[in-house]
Amino acid sequence: MAGKKLSILSSGLIAAAAALIAASLFFPWWGMEFFAPQYPEGLNIIVYPDKLEGEIDIVNGLNHYIGMKGFSEENFPELTYLKYLIGGLALLTLITAVLRRKKVLYFLIGLFSIGGLLGVWDLRRWLHDFGTDLSPTAPIKVDPFVPPIIGENTLANFITNSYLGTGSFLVLAAFILILIPLWKDR
Amino acid sequence: MKKWIPIASGLATGLLAATVFFADFSPGDRNEAIAESSKNKTNAEKVYVPFGEKDEYYLFASGGHSGQMFIYGVPSMRHIRTVPVFSPDSATGYGFDKHSKEMMGGFTWGDLHHPAFSETNGDYDGKYMFATDVGNSRAAVMNLETFTVKDIIDVPNTSGPHCAAFVTENTEYMFLPTRFAVPIGREYAPLDDYSEKYRGVMSAVTFDEKKEKLNIAYQVALPPWSYDLSDAGKKVSKDWAVMTTYNTEEATTNLEFNASQADRDFIVLFNWKELEQMVKDGKYDEVTGQKMIFPEKHKGGMYLVPVAKSPHGVDVTPDGKHFIASGKLAPTMTVFSFEKAFKAIENKEFAGERNGIPIIKYESVMEKEVNPENALGPLHTQFDDQGMAYTTMFISSEIVKWDPKTGETLDRVPVQYSPGHSVAAEGDTVAPDGKYLIALNKIAKDSYLSVGPSHPESMQLIDLRGDKMEVIQSAPVNPEPHYAQMIKADKIKTITVYPKDEKNPDAVYSQEETRIERKGNEVHVYGIAMRSKFIFDAKAERPDQIEVKKGDKVFIHLTNIDFDQDITHGFAINGYDLNIEVQPGQTNTVEFTADKAGTYPIYCTNFCSALHQEMTGYFLVKP
Repeated sequence: MAGKKLSILSSGLIAAAAALIAASLFFPWWGMEFFAPQYPEGLNIIVYPDKLEGEIDIVNGLNHYIGMKGFSEENFPELTYLKYLIGGLALLTLITAVLRRKKVLYFLIGLFSIGGLLGVWDLRRWLHDFGTDLSPTAPIKVDPFVPPIIGENTLANFITNSYLGTGSFLVLAAFILILIPLWKDR
Repeated sequence: MKKWIPIASGLATGLLAATVFFADFSPGDRNEAIAESSKNKTNAEKVYVPFGEKDEYYLFASGGHSGQMFIYGVPSMRHIRTVPVFSPDSATGYGFDKHSKEMMGGFTWGDLHHPAFSETNGDYDGKYMFATDVGNSRAAVMNLETFTVKDIIDVPNTSGPHCAAFVTENTEYMFLPTRFAVPIGREYAPLDDYSEKYRGVMSAVTFDEKKEKLNIAYQVALPPWSYDLSDAGKKVSKDWAVMTTYNTEEATTNLEFNASQADRDFIVLFNWKELEQMVKDGKYDEVTGQKMIFPEKHKGGMYLVPVAKSPHGVDVTPDGKHFIASGKLAPTMTVFSFEKAFKAIENKEFAGERNGIPIIKYESVMEKEVNPENALGPLHTQFDDQGMAYTTMFISSEIVKWDPKTGETLDRVPVQYSPGHSVAAEGDTVAPDGKYLIALNKIAKDSYLSVGPSHPESMQLIDLRGDKMEVIQSAPVNPEPHYAQMIKADKIKTITVYPKDEKNPDAVYSQEETRIERKGNEVHVYGIAMRSKFIFDAKAERPDQIEVKKGDKVFIHLTNIDFDQDITHGFAINGYDLNIEVQPGQTNTVEFTADKAGTYPIYCTNFCSALHQEMTGYFLVKP
């Protein structure tokens, strides 16, 4: 059956997926929120494909006590090219919708999966790096730690919540959309 | 019908049983005592602001000769903050940093009298607070985003602007009339020449909101009397203002007797629009660098209204139609009509003149004299939302509520003791709130734990909402509660951090930009404070040390780069009598000569973090 054309409906779904991926560029993909008694309003790190937002300076000011490196956009080379990768993926998805060829779709799904896994691995790598590469001269000694990609973590009097942002959900939705033709046009 | 019988009998039995077992047949006293204590509890609840909630009003209370402003929350009466205005304050470094030191102009204290809010359309706008200094004849303005003083000016030709500051309906002017007459330019003149050479100069001060600067527009050389209290007109009387004056006897000694002889003193009634026009028309003399109107030379815009002897308060009703004056030695409140005054001026119903200023006939402007039985020493009147007046009785220690329309006394409540002024919630605006009134008592004997012969003074909170006025809270205060303003809390919009000012050449917002520059014998330090360190020169071996030579002029510009609310840093040089503060995001400068050689530790004075104690450095002065 390989090589057979995808249905119009499937093509539409894939085109919609392309739109979602493109839209995700304008939303945060991942974030962390910190709460402590003296910060009841919470402190934020919000990660977009191309920038960081939130109270980064304040978080850095606090983190320097445990010897953690400062977060800054310069520290994450990904932020300079991630938007092009995502844009490229959106473009490939659109091309897949136009070509309506199953082979290309399989390739896209494969690329999507690998890209997604790489992304998760990269984030995990950063979290590990920041949490374990603590300065030996830090005034406050804490055990190395790795915050979860999603979920809660407690450090001193701070409770941290890591969560996926709208961008991630849009891309997940896009992934589901491009999986549907596998079933639909089987 | 039959089925009602068991129900009715059941109910009756139950009622009877309940009465037998639970009813209270004890004597009546106990019930009264319970009622009394539950009443107290009610009062406690009225003033209690639970943790997590905030007060409804800010109270700005003059700190008198402490030179400070005390900020309270109402109704809790909790002291929130002391803002230094005319006196240095080491808690905030005020009077040590360059800006505040320059503003203080070498003075070390002030007698902060009447605070006044900036107004828009006769209502508080919550932007600025003005205050005057009777001690050293100055005026100040405080910004209400940061609760810090932005400008202080000397008021020349004046001694003790007591009855200021009162601001006009849109903060066009605030007027600063003097309490002590002096010769113009404060030159020497024997007291025998008092009537000829002395003057009670009034200054018209303007405020430039953009630059946050005060300025004197013009002055008026009033007769050598003592000007006491004042108020600006509202609505129909918005171009006008009134102020009381005593010592029209022009006594020069033992004023206690000599300034209390005349049966009538005056209210000065003036039209500031007309005075403004006179200045525009050049009807003034240039004296000591000021545009000075001499009423005997340039007539117009000023009138005298006879009033019961030695008046203190004069207050314009919220509708702007009347002004009420209280003669502190004559137990009478007098209600005057602006409209009658305007008519009398138009018809020239004058009873002669004093020092070139026409005197309006008392009968032509007086509407009613009000004299509540045994009420003595009426001083100051505030208003509620119904237009009712509340007057403090200094001698009989009470607040009297009365109706300015009928003169009828409506209610009285005793206070402890000797209320000078009082303040009602937005009580001198065009729209008073009418919920609370605070009596600013001069004496509070026996009210609080003893602190020795000098007792604390007190402020008492009075609930105006019920049928009867009720004192519901009392708070001890530092000397002295003199005059106050109460503003709805949501009108004040404070900031949490100072925004970055990229144009400020003294500011450095990153560690890398910190540096120490030497220019001849001047050393300029561009440093930062952050949790929990000082960095004066990031590239130096010890970034937290400053080394200079004896005799060097040192300029330390310090920026707090913690843009995080409430993370304030202090900067003190141990043994050098220096201490400044940098609030979050703020840049501040201290300027001094390193005239003592030696080793002087630097430390952060304002607790900032767990490692605050480690936030130190060294200031080394080579011999």
